Amino acid sequence: MAPPEEAGGGEFPVGMKVLVVDDDPTCLAVLKQMLVQCRYDATTCSQSTRALSMLRENRRGFDVIISDVHMPDMDGFRLLELVGLEMDLPVIMMSADSRTDIVMKGIKHGACDYLIKPVRMEELKNIWQHVVRKKFSGNKEHEHSGSLDDTDRNRPANNDNEYASSINDGADDSWKSQKKKRDKEEDDSELESGDPSNSSKKPRVVWSVELHQQFVNAVNHLGIDKAVPKKILELMNVPGLTRENVASHLQKFRLYLKRIAQHHAGITNPYCTPASSAQVASLGGLDFQALAASGQIPPQALAALQDELLGRTTTSMVLPGRDQSSLRLAAVKGNKPQGEREIAFGQPIFKCQNNSYGAFPQSSPTVGRLPSFSAWPNNKLGMADSTSTLGNVNNSQNSNIVLHELQQQPDTMLSGTLHALDVKPSGIAMPSQSLNTFPASEGLSPNQSGFLTTIPPSMKPEPALPNSQQSNNLLGGIDLINQASTSQPFSNSHGGNLPGLMNHNSNVMPSQGISNFQTGNIPYLVNNSSIGVGSKPPGVLKTESTDSLNQSFGYICGSSPMDSGLLSSQPRNAQFGFLQSPNDVTGGWSLQNVDNYRNTIGPSHPVSSSSSFQSSNVALGKLPDQGRGKNLGFVGKGTCIPNRFAVDEVESPTNSLSHSIGSSGDIPDIFGFSGQM
Amino acid sequence: MDYSNLRRQAASMKRGLFDQGYLDEQFRQVEDLQDEASPNFVEEVVVLFFKDSAKLMSNLEQALEKYPRDFNRWDAYMQQLKGSCSSIGASRMKIECLSFRDNCGQGNVEGCMGSLQKLKREHALLRQKLESYFQLLRQAGPAGAATRPVM
Repeated sequence: MAPPEEAGGGEFPVGMKVLVVDDDPTCLAVLKQMLVQCRYDATTCSQSTRALSMLRENRRGFDVIISDVHMPDMDGFRLLELVGLEMDLPVIMMSADSRTDIVMKGIKHGACDYLIKPVRMEELKNIWQHVVRKKFSGNKEHEHSGSLDDTDRNRPANNDNEYASSINDGADDSWKSQKKKRDKEEDDSELESGDPSNSSKKPRVVWSVELHQQFVNAVNHLGIDKAVPKKILELMNVPGLTRENVASHLQKFRLYLKRIAQHHAGITNPYCTPASSAQVASLGGLDFQALAASGQIPPQALAALQDELLGRTTTSMVLPGRDQSSLRLAAVKGNKPQGEREIAFGQPIFKCQNNSYGAFPQSSPTVGRLPSFSAWPNNKLGMADSTSTLGNVNNSQNSNIVLHELQQQPDTMLSGTLHALDVKPSGIAMPSQSLNTFPASEGLSPNQSGFLTTIPPSMKPEPALPNSQQSNNLLGGIDLINQASTSQPFSNSHGGNLPGLMNHNSNVMPSQGISNFQTGNIPYLVNNSSIGVGSKPPGVLKTESTDSLNQSFGYICGSSPMDSGLLSSQPRNAQFGFLQSPNDVTGGWSLQNVDNYRNTIGPSHPVSSSSSFQSSNVALGKLPDQGRGKNLGFVGKGTCIPNRFAVDEVESPTNSLSHSIGSSGDIPDIFGFSGQM
Repeated sequence: MDYSNLRRQAASMKRGLFDQGYLDEQFRQVEDLQDEASPNFVEEVVVLFFKDSAKLMSNLEQALEKYPRDFNRWDAYMQQLKGSCSSIGASRMKIECLSFRDNCGQGNVEGCMGSLQKLKREHALLRQKLESYFQLLRQAGPAGAATRPVM
């Protein structure tokens, strides 16, 4: 798609890129003509799967999607979820069915709007509002992470790299890339001065993995039914966190759980292995389904997370320990064309479902990869089934790709690098805890039994992710990435960590609960770490894991309306929030993954680097990669407490690494990590 | 040739279609979409519609036989068809679609069969009428014909 600038850059709706998906050729033809008359840039597609791949390949190629509900190859709602998670683009549902319950379902799945056929011109004329709305809300959320994002964003020349704010970027890139950049810059500068856009008194909370992990822990402790924001807040005891933050995060979480449950129930994920499901269950009553599903974290989620993580974090790798790694990552990213994310775990993830762990820009390879996420967790992430399918396929692919990229990085990051990746600016970077410990506990405190538990640092639930093994690989790969960036030993994570990392992401994701991830953190994370991916070679994992990490982080932030938003937008930030507890980190979310990873990782991970990492993470112990897992980051767009570290804390103390990493200054280094590690 | 007269005839035919309920407001919306860039848009869409809907109806017929009493499936097919009809404003057809779906909801197999037959009839009728209409339009000449002396 032609860059927005060209398409009437000044006149806003003109040239807005719309993707219409409908299996009815008549309707498609009519809609297209209408859109053309509205002076939008319309692309039609009669199959969901094709649309999804188009989106993955070119995330920024579209500003808004209009999709029919009933389609033969993939349910419209599924597409909606996937898009939301992976790309965080506004999706408008459409159907001849005007029944309220169906419309409600659409809205619940995150549709920006629901049109009843026949669609009239007047209705189409207004769709640009959704794009703007999303963008702005995304911007707001990113305020904190904005700086990070901005850096990331601006850096990559292309829009692709801008995924960072996934939320915003998606839409923005299309046609307001310039504007966005400008805004971002402004945001960045304003961040310090208290986000202008953020009317709230507090800077956006980035739900990093650690933070999310804490959240999950609190929820588990209280019991999902009794978990009220006030109590959760008390339990979490996070300075600067408000009841509102928690409340909105909780809401997302609940939605996420529900989704996972639905998915779990309804989706037969081929990838999901019973084992993983079982694991999930064991994790915690909270949301096994989610977890299980998470196994599959839709690549998107992971991607999103990763994206977030990576994208954002580029600078601010959340991982406290990772700091270095993250820095590396950032550096790497910068250097590498794709790289922006190199580690891009997160990034690409977001972009491409595939885990394109590689930074988005390059995500192209990832594009295909992402799907691997799903493969990764096998657990049906619950997220779209399709996703899983994709994921699976991709996982292997991605992971390879990812690893590849990772390998590029000088470090052996793979093993530990993952962490680096995770670094995603978990915005919240909850101080201290995870940051240093980074380890697996990333974000997710191993204790999380419930929700997050999935990823308990100790990653027990490996089984949860059947793929975890794979994830291990991913992590391994991811670790590598981290290493590269932070030179963190994270690689160990791979041993456990890396995979963990991968897991982190993935793990984190699932637990994120963030609706997007629903799959129970792990799924997403998994993706990152390619956990689900299947045994990818460590190298490969990298990407994956990164993603997962990112994912986790992304999730943490949860800035987005739970879905992808979480992942993508925040990944960076989010992750770290949680990471606090390095051990937990493994991304509370990703616990699953992490565990999976961890489990698999530990033993299985060939990723050597992990070993070293492990030690560092040790703290995590639990999740070798867990650090990554931290990604838990609810990544959702939600509030992200600028958690820089959010990223893969996975391994262990490294969390702090990730944490510190941070953000090239974009993210307020809450923990002061930036620069650490 | 008396273009104006032909055009008048075409206009009158169209009005008739509206009055008799064959077409509804949506058709006008579709017509509005026609412009210089797509001078034959309406006809193209209509042709597309008939082709696609014929296929859908045939699939549905097969499904009625192959999956007896599978109302959900039948309903799904019909849902699709209904969407198509409404997109171009094929009003009477849409009504039959709705009736079919009602029958599905009631588990009335006979009713479904009957609705489908009616639908096919409406489909054929509309097709015939629109074909005549477009033919007339073509005879009436392109838009440019308007510039020709009417008399």
